[in-house]
Amino acid sequence: MTIESSAQAFALRGVGKSFRYFKLEGLDLSLPLGQIMGLVGPNGAGKSTTIRLLMGLLAPEAGLIEVLGYPVPARIAEAKREVAFVADDMRLFGGATLAWHMQFMASIYAGWDQAYAVLLMRRFGLRAEQPVRSLSRGEHVKALLLLALARRPRLLILDEPTSGLDPVARQELLTELMEIVRDDSRSILFSSHNTMDVERISDQIAFLDRGRLVDVRDKETFLERWRRFQVDLPLECRLPALTDIVAESREGRLATLTTNHFQPTQVAAVEQAGGRVHEVQRMSLEEIFVASVMRNRGEQLS
Amino acid sequence: MNRSVFWLLVRKDLYLLRVLSIAGVVIGLLALFLMFFGKVAYAVGGVLYLTANIASALMLAMASLLGERKEQTRLFALSLPISGQQYDLAKLVATQLTYFIPWLIMTVLALGMVALRPTIPAGYLVFTILLQGSFLTLFCVFVATLFVLTSEFAGGLAILVVNVMFTLFMIMLSQPANSGPLNTSHIVWTPFAKMTLAVEVLMTILSIIFALIAISRRRDHL
Repeated sequence: MTIESSAQAFALRGVGKSFRYFKLEGLDLSLPLGQIMGLVGPNGAGKSTTIRLLMGLLAPEAGLIEVLGYPVPARIAEAKREVAFVADDMRLFGGATLAWHMQFMASIYAGWDQAYAVLLMRRFGLRAEQPVRSLSRGEHVKALLLLALARRPRLLILDEPTSGLDPVARQELLTELMEIVRDDSRSILFSSHNTMDVERISDQIAFLDRGRLVDVRDKETFLERWRRFQVDLPLECRLPALTDIVAESREGRLATLTTNHFQPTQVAAVEQAGGRVHEVQRMSLEEIFVASVMRNRGEQLS
Repeated sequence: MNRSVFWLLVRKDLYLLRVLSIAGVVIGLLALFLMFFGKVAYAVGGVLYLTANIASALMLAMASLLGERKEQTRLFALSLPISGQQYDLAKLVATQLTYFIPWLIMTVLALGMVALRPTIPAGYLVFTILLQGSFLTLFCVFVATLFVLTSEFAGGLAILVVNVMFTLFMIMLSQPANSGPLNTSHIVWTPFAKMTLAVEVLMTILSIIFALIAISRRRDHL
């Protein structure tokens, strides 16, 4: 059985994987070619598990996975010719130099771009003859990224790539990633705790929590649909029953409502009930993420 | 199977573990050289020789198999265009070669020393073959164990087991009934010597088969 995914960088359908204390369930996720997807979730959400399933490092117990049209894990070796993967807990061979690693990669990947590798080396401030063991954490991440980017992959998978980087290096990396996807056929999946990074470069955003996909949409839809509005409501008045309200709180006269599908009719309904809407605020991705996760957890409990 | 990546990974391990492999041979050679200088030097050289062989076997296997997990390089290697099973197979071949090449050199040199040095009885050729065989067998058993049990704690336990097995082997070998015929000017393959060699060959083959089965059954490769 296959997934109809000719235009997809990857697709997961009903994927499940369980461990002793963690279970990933019914994961449906796909990324069109040429797009960047940010995978956001708290610790233990399943981000790394999802990525390791895509890389064929873990075998799914349920569901189907395809990467660049190849079924995974059955044909992962072929898929990995066109995929580069970097994780924050990944290390290069300590006893060898960066130059040795570059030569090693060049002998494996036909598309290895030596000129680009040298350019990145200069841009990242790395030295070819430096033994990998002597690199700092940030330099190590940069070296891994150099080796991933210079093979010119069609799909770049990054698991918390910015976690060990200083702000300047993070900026350099994000700029580099934006550069890569100027080529419409290249795609990026990256997981991060840092919602600012995700918000900055992603086309698609997926929220994961406790092994479940909470929400996935394109970034603009997320940012356009989510709103928080504050209402001044006389004490004797009750808030009307509104659709798409994911959180509400009230302190005396002041009520705060959060909606995941903002419509002017919501404001009208509140005002009709005697309330006065002070302000309708746009929400940051971090606020949207937290609200989504809290809502998901609330639903799971009930 | 992606042959080019497979052999690149094997060559990579041979390169990265070269210092340990060469150190084992150098210390072994030094030990054999020492054995030419009188009784005390012979004893010291003998102990050093045993230590060099056992230590390099354990250290090579640990560095190759546990080291990649401890140093987190396995994830990088697994990102290369090769399946998890193919990678583990390459790892098995590489680990075996990193020890087998120095082991072969040491075996040839040790047998050469026994054959060429008139003061050592020719019967010691059999003893040397059994001893060298035991090193290879214990290495293969250790490697197979590390393919199944991947934690450092399990590695420590496996070292303990290997040491106990080697001590028992040496005690058995040094029993007068067993060592007597080896200490003669003729090459004598006693029933004990034949049986020991057969057990060594069998255990070596079974260990490799065991490792191959473990690799073929593994679905998660981290």
